[in-house]
Amino acid sequence: MALPGLALVEQSLITGFLAGSLYGLLALGLSLSWGLLKLVNIGHFAMALLSAYLTWYFGTELGIPAWWAGAIIVPVFFVYGIALHWVFVRFRVSEMSSMLITFALAIIVESLIQTIWTADFRRYTTELANQSFLIGGLYIPKLNLLACAVAALLAIGTWAWLRYTYVGKALRACAEDTPIASAFGINHKTLTYLLSGICAAYAGIAGVFIALIGTLAPNEIWTWIGVVFAVVIIGRLGNPIGALLGGILIGVCEALTQSAVNPAWAPLVSFSVLILLLLVKPKWI
Amino acid sequence: MDLTGNRFANYAGLAVLGAALIAVPALDLPAFYIAFFYVLFHWISLATSWAILSGFAGYWSFGHAAFFGTGVYTTATFAAKLGVPFLLTIPIAALFAAALGAGVGFVVFRLQRLRGELFALITISVTFVLATIVSNTPIDGGLGVYLIAVKVPEVFGSPTSTFYLLGLLLAAISVWTAWKISRSKLGLGLFAIHDDEDVAEAKGVPTFRYKILAFAISSGIAGAVGSVYALYVSYVTVGDTFDVTVIMYPVVMTIFGGARHWLGPAFGAVVVETALYTAASGPDASIGRAVVALVLILVVLLLPSGVMPSIVRLWQSVFPLRRETPRAVAPPAMVPAKAQAAGSAAAPAALNGTVLACTDVRKSFGGVQALRGVSLDVKRGEILGLVGPNGSGKSTLINMITGHYPLDQGTIVFDGAPIQHLSAHRIAELGIARSYQIPRPFNRLTVRANVALAGMFGAGDLHNDTEIYGQAQHWMEFAGIAGRANDFPPQLNLHERKFLELARALAARPRVLCLDEVLSGLNHTEIDAALHLIRNIREGGTSIVFVEHLMRAVVELSDRVAVLNEGELIAVGTPQETMRDPHVVRVYLGEPHAA
Amino acid sequence: MLLEAKNLHIAYGDAPAVWDATIDVGEGEIVSVIGPNGAGKSTLINTIAGLLRWRRGTLHFGGVDLSTVPSHKVCRHGIALVPEGRRLFTTLTVEENLEIGGYRPEARKLTQESLARVYDLFPMVREKRHEMAGSLSGGQQQMVAIGRGLMARPRLLLLDEPSLGLAPSVVADVFRAVRAIHSEGVSILLVEQNIAKAFEVADRAYVLEDGRIVAEGVPSELLAQSRIREAYLGL
Repeated sequence: MALPGLALVEQSLITGFLAGSLYGLLALGLSLSWGLLKLVNIGHFAMALLSAYLTWYFGTELGIPAWWAGAIIVPVFFVYGIALHWVFVRFRVSEMSSMLITFALAIIVESLIQTIWTADFRRYTTELANQSFLIGGLYIPKLNLLACAVAALLAIGTWAWLRYTYVGKALRACAEDTPIASAFGINHKTLTYLLSGICAAYAGIAGVFIALIGTLAPNEIWTWIGVVFAVVIIGRLGNPIGALLGGILIGVCEALTQSAVNPAWAPLVSFSVLILLLLVKPKWI
Repeated sequence: MDLTGNRFANYAGLAVLGAALIAVPALDLPAFYIAFFYVLFHWISLATSWAILSGFAGYWSFGHAAFFGTGVYTTATFAAKLGVPFLLTIPIAALFAAALGAGVGFVVFRLQRLRGELFALITISVTFVLATIVSNTPIDGGLGVYLIAVKVPEVFGSPTSTFYLLGLLLAAISVWTAWKISRSKLGLGLFAIHDDEDVAEAKGVPTFRYKILAFAISSGIAGAVGSVYALYVSYVTVGDTFDVTVIMYPVVMTIFGGARHWLGPAFGAVVVETALYTAASGPDASIGRAVVALVLILVVLLLPSGVMPSIVRLWQSVFPLRRETPRAVAPPAMVPAKAQAAGSAAAPAALNGTVLACTDVRKSFGGVQALRGVSLDVKRGEILGLVGPNGSGKSTLINMITGHYPLDQGTIVFDGAPIQHLSAHRIAELGIARSYQIPRPFNRLTVRANVALAGMFGAGDLHNDTEIYGQAQHWMEFAGIAGRANDFPPQLNLHERKFLELARALAARPRVLCLDEVLSGLNHTEIDAALHLIRNIREGGTSIVFVEHLMRAVVELSDRVAVLNEGELIAVGTPQETMRDPHVVRVYLGEPHAA
Repeated sequence: MLLEAKNLHIAYGDAPAVWDATIDVGEGEIVSVIGPNGAGKSTLINTIAGLLRWRRGTLHFGGVDLSTVPSHKVCRHGIALVPEGRRLFTTLTVEENLEIGGYRPEARKLTQESLARVYDLFPMVREKRHEMAGSLSGGQQQMVAIGRGLMARPRLLLLDEPSLGLAPSVVADVFRAVRAIHSEGVSILLVEQNIAKAFEVADRAYVLEDGRIVAEGVPSELLAQSRIREAYLGL
């Protein structure tokens, strides 16, 4: 293991920062649904990947640019989120069972993707794909930067929405003590459907950027699970800004590991952090 | 195995089945069929072994692949790279996998009140960490390991038959192990943990030990299965070994077949795997996975306990089991004998000394002081009423005594030995039992099993089924619920559930019984019956501490009453004395009534 | 009559908690329900607030039959709850808790004015308004809980054991606030274990023992009877 030179470290930091913000974007929806809805949605990743494939497909086969693809995908996903929550409510699904059901959904979506688009790697080539800003000898890919900006925007926006609007406060109150919130007029049902739709929409948005930035393969779903769950737990459940910062932290750690040690060890970082966290079990879990 | 009532018929049927299965390879069928059977056995073993912890105890592991993979790579390394004879690598693989399972369990189960989702996440993580390590070290190195050079022992003339027989052996071992456990103390403990782990611990089940044991057994079997699989495929890769299929299928098969039944996972494995084979072969493997996943969703939503219980019910309607009611066995006299000798049936037992002594017990939750130095003795053979306004610390004191929470300061001495640092299950074993205000029976065990479990893990010295079930029968009759012995707690009404609580508490042969608001929700007739029962319990030699709000009952029943207020003991004495104590009156009624 | 409950039977699953309870509260009254703990007082109040459903009997508020009203709409009719143990939203600030109190549409329009009133009544609450509700002391939390109830601009305020776990001086403050609220025209149904304090403010009272109403009347009458003593002390 050779210590990397300064330039490499700086570049790793940038890369890691940007990659981490994408983790944060992915973690956002999961953190909200786990923290406020008390549902563990493993299907979140599969939906993000589906959105990515759809974006790629719209762009490559149908000539629809990513932004329009997103405009179509996101509302559809919002409706899906509501429908999913309806099923959970109708069958009074427990937290554990929701994990199992969404796990199964993830597999179904993965199979769907593989059947329609095969397991071949897919890359979405757009004009912006290979463009970078060159600042002080460091490369900052434009699309990654855009993803980072969107992630930050969504994280801060969601945080502000939860913090300052009536609906946001009502959601937080509901999550903590549903009967008392109800006694003050908060309609638990409507709010939870709304939130479920939002979380699914976030998965859709994350997917658009995954398509723009990364390579697509059906089993990407499984490689993300550990990372993103680690991010969610580090960032505290239900905390949008925590999800973003947690993602960046993991991203940077991974990038540094990749440059210092064999890149293949990188996935170990997040899983190990997750295991450690779960064992140390700080109060916020 | 109680498929039919006749034991001989059971064993004979089993022997015939066994012989038939072993003979299959000799039938000279095309290798395809033999291989198909191997695959069935493979999944039967994986599903059944998964169910031993996850189905029985309810801790859903999403990482069975880790232990399977340990087995695969143990054999790959030892047989292919180190030249160890294949058959020898199987037990080594099982051992390594079991050790890994025990290790993970040891670290993970120590977390208090581990939530199910966290356990699932940890097990997924362990799988991927292991996969990464294997992939990046010489164990696999990313290129896979070839086992073609490893010699396969030949039975019946072909390697395929060997795998068939090894698979059959492992499947038989898995199913037999699951069956044995489900009828053992371990199994009953695991089922109880599934239904209500806190209560199981309070009833004397060593939950930590049992979970690790189940996890180790489960992992060990998975390791052995992996070991055989490695040679069967003869080329192993990280991708195929630590695959999501290996994680998911045992879950689906078990939940489909029935997670709490020893034959459920096997049944599920046969059905699911056969369906996959007939419906989709070749490149549509992913569609097959999707269908299986869909089945999982439907089962979770619509048939949460799986298919097996329905089949069992159907079978039993055709072949009804004549279940004899066990004869009631009167439990031996309560130790120490001097309590029995001193007391008579009519008069309260002579109060020989102190059975439980709390000295300066203190407890805070966050910043709130629940108990501020309470010193209280419970005399042997007495009924002590524990009363006080809301928030006075009554329930907290009971929780300290039964070991539910550790105390901050002070001592609790039970029959001469300090117990304040012992775990709840240890305290239950020593002879302190409690009932819960809102009954917390194990809902998926019968009334009889609920009571028997308490007897098995309690302070009584029970050696065999006759004693255990005989005494359970005795206590059910004592509490008047024997007629409901084969029903499940949700089918009982409140009165019966409360008396079940009492029967369970008594079956543990406690010397001190803590009753928490046992009368709430009962009507007048039921209250009278309860009071009568409580007096009978005391006649049997048990000292009773009971928390109650119905003051008239407290005054009527108690030998002594202790009054708590804001975490302090403010009065203790006979009911007449204490409830007229000016301080007590002031606490309850306020100033104007102090006269 | 503002609130009319007739022959209410309330149960948790199959565990009955309240039998055949009939109570009413008139406009501008302070009515108290006293009784030993475990008697079912909280069950009764939670049912009136819409948290629990009753099995038999009728419940009318301002002429409206509450059996037709879903839980989250009960407060719209003018009922607000100050729950036992406060039950503030600990992950929200004090001011956010108050705002949630005024969530219902008719109250939300008057939020600023309501906040001003609450801060007037409880100056200490204004000081702490940006702190997390969970960090306050018991007495402070009780003030916030009462304030939260007031934010809903109720016609009837339900108070569930406001003195629970509080020091005597704090209890005095709480009841001073109760009297002030009453003088502004809010009717109050007060559940209390602390008889002395309850009777200081109540116009009428009911005694609840083991789920049943065993006595009712004007405080001075009730004190003269031995019923209360029997219920609380068993003698």
